[in-house]
Amino acid sequence: MLSRVADTIYWLARYMERTQSMLQVIRTNYIASQDEIRYFSWRPLLYAYGELTSTEVNEIERDTPRVLEHLVLDKLNSASAYSNIMQGRENARAVQDHITKEVWQCLNDYYHYVRDNEVAQQVKLGDPVSGIDFLMRNSLLFTGTVKNTMPRDESYAYINIGKFLERAIQTADIIRIKWSGVSYDIQQSIETPELRYLLYSLFGYELFVKTYKGNFSPNNVLQMILYNTYFPHSLLYSLNQISRYFERLKEASLPESYEQLEFLIGKVKNEVKYSHFTADDPEQLNNFLLQMRDELYGVATAFSKYYFGNS
Amino acid sequence: MNENALLRSYQEQPNVWDEMFNLEGIRPEYKKFVAAIENLASAEMTRKDELAKKLFMSQGITFTVYSSGEGIEKIFPFDIIPRIIKNEEWKHIESGIKQRLKALNIFLKDIYHQQFIIKDGIIPASLIYSCPQFLREMVNVDVPFDVYTHVAGVDLIRDQDGDFYVLEDNLRTPSGVSYMLENRSITYRIFPDLLPKNNVQPVKDYPDILFRNLRALADGRSSDPTVVLLSPGIYNSAYFEHTTLARLMGIRLVEGRDLIVHNNFVYMKTTKGLKQVDVIYRRVDDEFLDPLVFRPDSALGVPGIYSAYRKGNVAIVNAMGNGVADDKAVYAYVPDMIRYYLNEEPILKNVPTYQMADADKRKLVFDNMDKMVIKRTNESGGYGMLIGSSATEEQMESFKKAITEDPRSFIAQPIISLSSTPCYINGVLQPRRVDLRPFALCGPSGIDIVPGGLTRVALKEGSLVVNSSQGGGSKDTWVLGAD
Repeated sequence: MLSRVADTIYWLARYMERTQSMLQVIRTNYIASQDEIRYFSWRPLLYAYGELTSTEVNEIERDTPRVLEHLVLDKLNSASAYSNIMQGRENARAVQDHITKEVWQCLNDYYHYVRDNEVAQQVKLGDPVSGIDFLMRNSLLFTGTVKNTMPRDESYAYINIGKFLERAIQTADIIRIKWSGVSYDIQQSIETPELRYLLYSLFGYELFVKTYKGNFSPNNVLQMILYNTYFPHSLLYSLNQISRYFERLKEASLPESYEQLEFLIGKVKNEVKYSHFTADDPEQLNNFLLQMRDELYGVATAFSKYYFGNS
Repeated sequence: MNENALLRSYQEQPNVWDEMFNLEGIRPEYKKFVAAIENLASAEMTRKDELAKKLFMSQGITFTVYSSGEGIEKIFPFDIIPRIIKNEEWKHIESGIKQRLKALNIFLKDIYHQQFIIKDGIIPASLIYSCPQFLREMVNVDVPFDVYTHVAGVDLIRDQDGDFYVLEDNLRTPSGVSYMLENRSITYRIFPDLLPKNNVQPVKDYPDILFRNLRALADGRSSDPTVVLLSPGIYNSAYFEHTTLARLMGIRLVEGRDLIVHNNFVYMKTTKGLKQVDVIYRRVDDEFLDPLVFRPDSALGVPGIYSAYRKGNVAIVNAMGNGVADDKAVYAYVPDMIRYYLNEEPILKNVPTYQMADADKRKLVFDNMDKMVIKRTNESGGYGMLIGSSATEEQMESFKKAITEDPRSFIAQPIISLSSTPCYINGVLQPRRVDLRPFALCGPSGIDIVPGGLTRVALKEGSLVVNSSQGGGSKDTWVLGAD
């Protein structure tokens, strides 16, 4: 496979995963803003998915419609959902002959959809949840279309490596950002809203209540979002998937390139797998998540160098 | 003429050949089609028109105009009423194009080798050597199977008597074939059953024939050749076409930066190292192809590709240097080439062409400028052109000045009144001018032309310019089977 094509497909998947992940976080945050006004703030999200200065953040952080517009629809914000979808589609356009026609049309429709005035009206002036849900349905459609139509060749491996690498980075970031808001004075087994929203942000609330039957301790939450291999948004699950799809590239790799990546991926995966964190020491957790994030970026850089010819 | 409101409102133009109507009414080749639409309510036609637009948009059959950092998607305008060509007419066009391409291909081989046509005094040497597209780098380069013009998109127009004329041969990197294919796929969705009922010949074989020809060029070098399509990238307005063709043929779409030349062999950079490339269907112009030989500032090409080509280590399609046969001043000599090389009379007519380098002709043209089209010899896309009948005094003067300064770079032709055909615009049928670009494929085994082509429409009322860059659109082109 052409290095440029592999690079483009991998980034296409990263942009789409990032879109889906951020839309869910924004959706959850919006609901929290209506429900839990006491602890609520848009600030962490404005820093994570925006490019505003602190003065600008101060200016708009209490104006929910403006915040939503900036995070979801702002063309000038290169981290907005709009920009991610546009980039994803632009990448798809450049590798149209390596993805199926269905995948391309799905992304193309998504792009036209996010440009549509109706969605903008819904997000800004109507019911933002419906607006975001419409967008997320397109994300799900993309995921399903990839699964159902793409041949299981190298392209598919790169799509999945991109997707799970992005998911691992996002999961680490979301845990880090949200965990800092968890209040530790109520470490009993009653439900705390921050933990609930963290689980919603990671699509994990339903599984959690089924698994832990209402025992809402921070330790249980952490156990699930870091280590549960049945939960597709846990950190370990994503790392296992990266490793799994990477192994498929063995035949199509130069041996020395494969060795380099195999080492880096194996290292970060095992560091998570053989770690043991509880909710007792938030600072240690924070440092660990930061370190994992750096190592994941290291994996991305190594792909760029050894597989995408950007050395 | 007709009871139906859609047809009744249609105004034919005087002294223009109408593709759908003649003095007696509807032409026979259009009768079945008209019968199928004449009873449709106008809302239904409008729905079809909107459906077509929606399909183009959702399938991404668009070109992107980049402004202020944001890409704006544009559809190449499509008119839902097809242009229909009778079987006998098509046979005439087909044999005429084959004859021309045969002669042009021999001409290219001759002009880059022995140059008999100059020595025998058929074409003046000065005309060839003053042509910027004549590449000295191609002299004595042997191309595989002596084929130069692998893909040609010959532009035909029809004058008021209904005769077809060749306007341009387009032997370099003609585009538009994806629209021929896509227009057809849209037509069968908006007019179910009409294609089989009218016995319309299919165009879908085009990619298969092209791929067969491309593979054949590597014959003898590799049993499983690597064929790629070289595109300038996503910012090119024909990028959609490049991806469509690559996808339909199942070949890789590469950009200049994906290729590298090593020891006069061309390789592509893959995730598993370098892989040799045998055949390149390039959609990058000659001057950008190799920065070491042509334009040094080109980032679209591949350094060293020319030497690999010269050594015969890679086949490039179309051959380099074809522009000399595409030059509008050389065009005037194509009928002579046909007589000289093939000893045949041309089947398709040329538009009479006056060389501005000839002082007598120049005077004749200057005296009758309002009846002339003046064109630059090396430009296309409707640029560098003056249509006398609609030009201002000022424009004429500036052209006269430019011609006097550099007469070799201009030719003049009498204005041909392009034929018109009904288009569905704003809910009514209106006449608009059209041309026809069939696509011919030359390979080691001969010349194939799929029955069809791109009918381009000048969508502006009264306009004679059909180029997409100048507000043109397109129609599906139906070539009917034999009765």
